[in-house]
Amino acid sequence: MRTTSRGLIAALVLPPLLAGCFAPSDSGDGTGAGAGSGGRLRVALAVPPVQALSPYSNDATVLSKLSVAEGLTALDRNGTAKPGLAKSWKQDDDTTWTFELRKAEFQDGTEFTAQSVVNALDHASAAKPKPRVLSDVALTAKAEDADTVTLTTKTPDPVLPLRLASPALAILSAKAYGKDGAVSPAGTGTGPFEITRLSGKAKAKLDRFDGYWGGKAKAPGIDVSWIADGTARANALRGGEADIAEWIPTAQAKLLDKDTRHEVPSVRTDSLILNTGSGLFTDAGLRAAAREAVDGSALVDSVFGGYADPAQGLFGPAVPWAADKRVDVTGRAKADTTAQVKAGTKGRTLRLATYTNRAELPEAATVLQQQLEKAGFTVKQDVREYTQMEADLLAGKYDALVFSRVTLLDTGDAVDYLASDFTSEGVYNIPGLKDGAVDKAIRAAAAERDTKRRQEKIMRAEAEILRTDAVVPLVHEQAVQGIATGVEGVILDPRERSLVDVDTHAG
Amino acid sequence: MSVVHAPAARLSLWPAAAGRVLAGAALLGAVALLPWLTGADPARTVLRARSADQNPTAAELAAVRKQLGLDEGPFAHLAHWLGGLPRGDAGVSWVSGEPVMPQVGTALSVSLTLVLGAFVVTALVAALVCARTVFLGSRRRLRQDRAGTTAAVLAALPKFLLASVLATVCGVWWGWFPSSGWEGPQSMVLPSLALGIPSGAMLGGLLDQALPAAFHEPWARTAYAVGLPPGNIARNALRRTLPGMLPQLLPTVVALVGGAVAVEKIFNIPGLGRLALEAAVAQDLPVLQTATLALVLLGVSAGILIRALRHALLGRPLRDGALPTLHRPPLVPPRSLRWITAACSVVLIALVTAGLLRDPLQVDTAARLVAPSLEHPLGTDALGRDLLARLGHGALRTAGVALAVTVVSAVTGLLLGMAPRASAGPTEVVSTLPAVLSGLLIAGVTGPSVWGAAIAVCVVGWSPYAAQTAALLEQERASGHIAASVALGAGRTHLLRRHLLPAVLPALLRNALLRLPTAVLVLASLGFLGLGEQPPTPEWGRLLSENQPYAELAPWTVLGPAAALVVLSVLAVTGSALGREKGV
Repeated sequence: MRTTSRGLIAALVLPPLLAGCFAPSDSGDGTGAGAGSGGRLRVALAVPPVQALSPYSNDATVLSKLSVAEGLTALDRNGTAKPGLAKSWKQDDDTTWTFELRKAEFQDGTEFTAQSVVNALDHASAAKPKPRVLSDVALTAKAEDADTVTLTTKTPDPVLPLRLASPALAILSAKAYGKDGAVSPAGTGTGPFEITRLSGKAKAKLDRFDGYWGGKAKAPGIDVSWIADGTARANALRGGEADIAEWIPTAQAKLLDKDTRHEVPSVRTDSLILNTGSGLFTDAGLRAAAREAVDGSALVDSVFGGYADPAQGLFGPAVPWAADKRVDVTGRAKADTTAQVKAGTKGRTLRLATYTNRAELPEAATVLQQQLEKAGFTVKQDVREYTQMEADLLAGKYDALVFSRVTLLDTGDAVDYLASDFTSEGVYNIPGLKDGAVDKAIRAAAAERDTKRRQEKIMRAEAEILRTDAVVPLVHEQAVQGIATGVEGVILDPRERSLVDVDTHAG
Repeated sequence: MSVVHAPAARLSLWPAAAGRVLAGAALLGAVALLPWLTGADPARTVLRARSADQNPTAAELAAVRKQLGLDEGPFAHLAHWLGGLPRGDAGVSWVSGEPVMPQVGTALSVSLTLVLGAFVVTALVAALVCARTVFLGSRRRLRQDRAGTTAAVLAALPKFLLASVLATVCGVWWGWFPSSGWEGPQSMVLPSLALGIPSGAMLGGLLDQALPAAFHEPWARTAYAVGLPPGNIARNALRRTLPGMLPQLLPTVVALVGGAVAVEKIFNIPGLGRLALEAAVAQDLPVLQTATLALVLLGVSAGILIRALRHALLGRPLRDGALPTLHRPPLVPPRSLRWITAACSVVLIALVTAGLLRDPLQVDTAARLVAPSLEHPLGTDALGRDLLARLGHGALRTAGVALAVTVVSAVTGLLLGMAPRASAGPTEVVSTLPAVLSGLLIAGVTGPSVWGAAIAVCVVGWSPYAAQTAALLEQERASGHIAASVALGAGRTHLLRRHLLPAVLPALLRNALLRLPTAVLVLASLGFLGLGEQPPTPEWGRLLSENQPYAELAPWTVLGPAAALVVLSVLAVTGSALGREKGV
């Protein structure tokens, strides 16, 4: 029959045509078990690149996670600045700092000089929109000589060395900066690994950069695949298709072999935000009742499968100095009784919002709903994708929000988070908080230059914020990283900025 | 609507072409106006997509707005995009700043490859489903009717669940195929199976129902008597019945190019569905428009191709109005039919009554993921809620809404299908459109709403029925007895009531019932837009999606809801078969 022969021809012709439709496989290393060919590391990352790995976007962390690019400074375990591309630095006066640079080479063969620092920082300042780390500071860089740079800020910035550790301020060679504002980190960083190929949002290939100032990396290269689905990431590790899989969802963690599962306290705190600006929770007594009703520790073993810590405050165990300096909260409003709650809500429903982007949050919301209903509230949930509801949240169209927030943003400094989320003029002030004492405490912390006293003032501000019951901390999340047996030297970083470095290697 | 002879169709190619252009233009216009229709600021969504931690300050938003030229309004932007198209330039992505064309091109080729694999599986499964009927029919031993249980069971399997199970079992446990990625033909196997099995069962179920009529025609009897080989008879019977089923390929298989998001996610396939969804959520209009345009062109060209194929198969009789009508022979219903129907009803009634007596919302974090026991007959979910209670309480709402959506879609499809020339374009355009897109539009207009999901599904859900109606009507109108009726002075209403509708309705009903489970799942898949009942309201589609991450750790959390869906589907199909038998 005619159609049969036609079908046959199609069947014979199509496969070769379609062979080009697969993602290019990397150097034919196949899917064999064990580590990739020749000890290359296969890493499964969670968040696909949005701007071709531009340091001014979400993708910046990839550059630091995989040791592609470096900043002048880096953060150590305790969150203090340690030397990066700068050997040392000193503060000349309130607004001027001098950085002594080390000898280094870019992956494209050009030399790392003071001029490259000036060029990189100028581009970061001029980027539109501005990288978040520079949003509240105006930075000018000047080359004194080949290996000395002075940085001047318009207003005093006590945390400048911390700021410079941000992956958004990584120093790339002049070649990286295109005319149209695009930035390409491929082959332009100074780190031990060099991006040699980026295939869309699916894969990237990194090779060892032998000219790295810190010595040769142990692994010959990294094959990155981006797998957005958590289950698929866990499957890739379990199926032997990846050596390192980051952020294993709590629902999958139990399926991993015990020795491939590594939990890290994360700087992410999940909390219940109460809308103090409008609606039900303008009433402090109701807020206090909600705070009393809600028990975050019930979420730890259920929703988070044990991969979380009960909340101590806004800052959890991943912020090492927080616990010792914690200030007791005093002067809180008295919680309404169940009868008072029923009377106080006047038949109004509590709109409990949360978003689907993090799988645990909707589950947590359901547990909280039951806890709040026990206290006398009538609750209705509003669960959507985050971008679908951000405008509504900032406009105060909710009463309570189950919210997951990184408490140390890219400056590595906690004041930043407090200022944007809880001051009257904060741009991310979802609780709609307008409280003089809170503003004052946060301003005091922001102005403090001494690290230790700054931390004390941050904790005082935390107590002030908690006093208002605008936010009820629930749990401090833990990140679960999957690392195949035999892979050594993977960095478990609470700030999720480092993962693979010079010493990481397979077996 | 006109009941005229088919030859006239030649002259009227223009209305169909105009319909296609109009429908495509309307859809692209709606997509280009999306942010302005929904009132969601693209600057905000684009900024969020680029950088999750960025503070949405007025200055930053203004910078993005200026960069994207949003102040010029939607029409300037649309004109600019259209102007670039003839040069093969679809602009740059608002989020990444990279050229759109290569992105969409790569994603489209990936999706087409995947769908080709799915099509092969679909054909195989459909062949298996009809194998018994073809074998017996071509040997004239077809006495007994079939209940269609197998098709109903397979068609009710949720694709994402199938994908999860395949990835875990064949990818992780046995290591036969890669569990994710898109690196070579071996990556195609599992996703193709996950997509193809339910589709194949659905198409096979339709074909299986149509085949007995073809084997019952006089030519088949003659061929058998003359001693022609069964293969020959089977081939001709397929040639007779396939044209009625072919249009279903469009909404069932071709639609997977943009509509396989869940499976693409599970297998980490960089396909068009995911690209379009990400672009839609971030309101990255250049990407979204180009992806939509690709889907529209694909739908239209597939539609034209299928139409040509149908005409080639039916040949001259269709043009000359000499196509005999397919009459279903009186077949003995299988004895199992009653039993299966009864068993399914008993199971569902037991489920609902037992479930209604329990509390579906009681969270008990201590009783998390408890395996089925006396206390919790179907086990508990991740929050310790009783699954039997959740299934029971969800049953009426789920079945009710899905049924309502299916009825509305089927009736709309039937009505539109009666005006085939006008509706051909919209049908082709809509059938490849992912429900998420219409959901986004509805969500933007209505805000979060209970009925939003149902409306969004109805907006796109009618296309399979319209395609089916149009195809069957065309064949029916070409049959001799219609000409005879017209000659005897039959009016339009008479023709419609006595000849056309009776020919279309049974097949349409079967199609609708086989698609019922899909409606349940699609409705639930719009939850992330705030459409449909909000959690924690139990609803079967939600039960499946919220428990999917626990499928391996606690299989009962998904087995219960999946089995319930299967039982519902089987009951619907066998029940209708029983009704048909009584009616005849």
